[in-house]
Amino acid sequence: MALLEVKNLTVEFGSEDKPFRAVDSVSYSVDRGEVLGIVGESGSGKSVSSLAVMGLIDFPGRVSADSLTFDGQDLLTMPAKRRREITGKDIAMIFQDPMSALNPCFTVEAQIMEALKVHEGGNKKQRRERTLELLNQVGIPDPKSRMTAYPHQLSGGMSQRIVIAMAIACKPRLLIADEPTTALDVTIQAQIIDLLLKLQEDSDMGLILITHDLALVSEAANRIQVMYAGQLFESGPADSIFAAPRHPYTQALLEALPERSEGHDRLRTIPGVVPGQYDRPAGCLLAPRCRYANESCVKARPEVSDFNGRDVRCFYPLNDQGQPTGMATGETV
Amino acid sequence: MLGFLFRRLGDIIPTFFGVTLLVFFLIRLIPGDPILMLAGERGVDAERYAELQAQYGFDQPIIVQYFDYLVGVFQGDLGKSFVTKRPVLDEFLTLFPATVELAIMGILFAVILGVPFGVLAAIHRGKWIDHLTMSLSLTGYSMPIFWWALLLIMFFSTTLGWTPVSGRISVMFFFEPVTGFMLIDSLLSGEKGAFSSAVSHLILPTVALGTIPMAVIARMTRSSMLEVLGEEYIRVARAKGLAPIRVIMVHALRNALIPVITVIGLQVGVLLAGAILTETIFSWPGIGKWIIEAMNRRDYPTIQGGILMIAFLVMAVNLIVDLLYGVVNPRIRHKR
Amino acid sequence: MSENTTPSAAHASNVAEAAVEPIGAPPSPLRETWDYFKKNRGALAGLIVIAIILFLALTAQWVAPFDPVAQDRTAFLKPPIWMEGADPRYILGTDAVGRDILSRLIHGAQLSVSIGVVVVILSMIAGIALGMVAGYFRGWVEVGVMRLMDIMLALPSLIMALAIVAILGPGLENAMLAIAIVQLPHYVRLTRASVVSELNKEYVIASQIAGAGHVRQMFVNILPNCMAPLIVQGTLGISSAILDAAALGFLGLGAQPPLPEWGTMLSEAREFVGSAWWVITFPGLCILVTVLAFNLMGDGLRDALDPKMKR
Repeated sequence: MALLEVKNLTVEFGSEDKPFRAVDSVSYSVDRGEVLGIVGESGSGKSVSSLAVMGLIDFPGRVSADSLTFDGQDLLTMPAKRRREITGKDIAMIFQDPMSALNPCFTVEAQIMEALKVHEGGNKKQRRERTLELLNQVGIPDPKSRMTAYPHQLSGGMSQRIVIAMAIACKPRLLIADEPTTALDVTIQAQIIDLLLKLQEDSDMGLILITHDLALVSEAANRIQVMYAGQLFESGPADSIFAAPRHPYTQALLEALPERSEGHDRLRTIPGVVPGQYDRPAGCLLAPRCRYANESCVKARPEVSDFNGRDVRCFYPLNDQGQPTGMATGETV
Repeated sequence: MLGFLFRRLGDIIPTFFGVTLLVFFLIRLIPGDPILMLAGERGVDAERYAELQAQYGFDQPIIVQYFDYLVGVFQGDLGKSFVTKRPVLDEFLTLFPATVELAIMGILFAVILGVPFGVLAAIHRGKWIDHLTMSLSLTGYSMPIFWWALLLIMFFSTTLGWTPVSGRISVMFFFEPVTGFMLIDSLLSGEKGAFSSAVSHLILPTVALGTIPMAVIARMTRSSMLEVLGEEYIRVARAKGLAPIRVIMVHALRNALIPVITVIGLQVGVLLAGAILTETIFSWPGIGKWIIEAMNRRDYPTIQGGILMIAFLVMAVNLIVDLLYGVVNPRIRHKR
Repeated sequence: MSENTTPSAAHASNVAEAAVEPIGAPPSPLRETWDYFKKNRGALAGLIVIAIILFLALTAQWVAPFDPVAQDRTAFLKPPIWMEGADPRYILGTDAVGRDILSRLIHGAQLSVSIGVVVVILSMIAGIALGMVAGYFRGWVEVGVMRLMDIMLALPSLIMALAIVAILGPGLENAMLAIAIVQLPHYVRLTRASVVSELNKEYVIASQIAGAGHVRQMFVNILPNCMAPLIVQGTLGISSAILDAAALGFLGLGAQPPLPEWGTMLSEAREFVGSAWWVITFPGLCILVTVLAFNLMGDGLRDALDPKMKR
């Protein structure tokens, strides 16, 4: 049984009759010891779906799913109090911007010890020792003196280490990292990812790594999930996705990688932006930006289907040569 | 922290001298001859005129006069009242505790009600409780407090007979002031019923004086709270699995109160202005009533000294609030 | 702001469309502001109340049933008509010398509205001029002006107004002047802040290069772009002017009897706090409603004019 099992998760905002679906029937699962990479541009719903798993979607937002289970327990139907016992202890999350993730009014020590106090209890001395241990674990130099520092006295990389220490304080079994390196300097990014992967390996955690950086997940993740405008577009093992993308969007994302642009004059881009609340196309959500889109793509939305052992949401999944299949020749618009 | 203090003092000192200048010229800007005004209706002969002129230094050049005045201020000499012939500072200090007592109660009333109302409105944003508290708050903010005080008297004193109409304590009690604070003095006196009499005299003036600051604080708390609730660290706190009440009361409120403290500090000025009206209506023997009486009697040294002291007071309170702000906000405290 | 300077096709069509509107010939930004404003129910209510008060103030001579200072010696302290012992001629009753309260309140509206408007206009003109000069020329002018404003702000507004009235002597005109002076720092600070932020914008530099003089720069190019916060402050300024003027009147230092200023009426009515509720309730209610209406409208305007709140 998987650690986290998500089936047809949907998150809606706005009015009941004309809702905006930030996440649209997304399914995935994570096992212990596994790294799942969720990839997509800004606005693809990858953050919202993980917030829904954490139970952090607030009132006007509505979360529904066929099932949302952690370790066999149904997260959606359990009482709020029970869910809070799991949140922060068994499932923890790291947020994008470490500089704003720490409360400016409290010391580093207070913020880490707070999580310990709520979930583990123990006395103040034990908690302080554990905090020191955590700071060591996340590689903070001179942890003793950092304990009483305030967030504004820390650099971005240092803050993110604190945020990670806070998240792993209660030895979670699943860690969700939402763009943990986006706000950091390039030189720090690799360090933080290495740290996360090391922590994951050491404690056999499940790790969900949310990012828009394909190169990053290619090295880190076992499986990859490509999201677009709230929908799952493609999922499968990391290496096979890289070797042979089945969805035109995945293909385009890969081509946009700088290292794959060798021999081209300029970096390749995907024209346009992810559709927002008001400009959703009637057919396939990618249709306006897809180079293979034809009339049927504009008219109807494809469902997720199995193609060569991979889940793909496309009428014309790509073959190993990167060409659309099942399309009459010359039909391309 | 010390550097912060000095920087703030550096800002205040020019303002301090500016206020003394303003107050110094106050009396000299009055149309007509100040000496004749001093002398009153009866008028003076030439000899007495020169005497008075020398006594008040009006025969000196204006710079010298200002300098003398400034030296006097630093020595605690604010002149003598035309009416009572007592030193203005003495009169001020005698009446000051009554105003402080009223102002403290007023600000307590405002904070104790205003902050929870603001928090409540923020966490129920857009619901009826938010609309209700914010409508009441805007009404309170627009309230002419002299009318509000009269309404309170009309309802609670004359109609229901629950509270006395004026004064600080029932005339049945008499004791020498020790601290000048009636609540404390009445307890110290040991007389039965004195304390409850002092309390009942305080209630209506407190409500009248505290209403506007309460409305302002509630509005400020709400908007500050809304801003903080949208911050990432609130989400992080919730992701730790903390109970909602702890997230709001510890993580959100602590941050939301930082700007509210500044607003509370600014309300001290409002409170002193309100004290003038409240004290007049409730015959509360404080500095507000004292200044108004001085105005009606054209007792210029008293007006001058009173305004100067109020300005000092407001500046001092603002300085204290700034320092307090540094204490609650680590970002300021550590800035050098 | 760019809509103002770069006429586009969309802009032109908006103007054409707006020309049909009865408001005059508003450019699209005004139209947009109005659309936001009218969505705010409180602000709209404030506007309607202000319209009613303005109407009463303008037509007081004809609307008021009686002369506001005429005394009826047969009807002292008559209660409103729904009470026992009322005189049917006096809808809201009479005061201690037999004057019709309703007529006095209507004429009081005239006084209060003119106090508010005159004070704000005086204060705004002086404040904008000072703030503009301070912000535009910077240097010692700025330091001097802003220091003076800091000093004025060191005193609570009512106390500052009292000090000025102490110099000028009691009376309606002096009270208005005092309140105008007290409000001055707000306009100076606002204007200066906007001017300083506008000064570095490209359009200012562009017209400087094109040879615009100081006066043209200040009042033709920069000022219109600083008006939004000033309009909001002006609306809120009217309410605080009315409130302060009433407070001064109540303390006997503003409008003098028998002028039917609301605060002055309250001051005369104080002694009847235990006997005649109507002489106290109605004038205060008028102050509250008027001040509330201007505050509601000011809040609504701020939200409608604030570009951050839009979208």
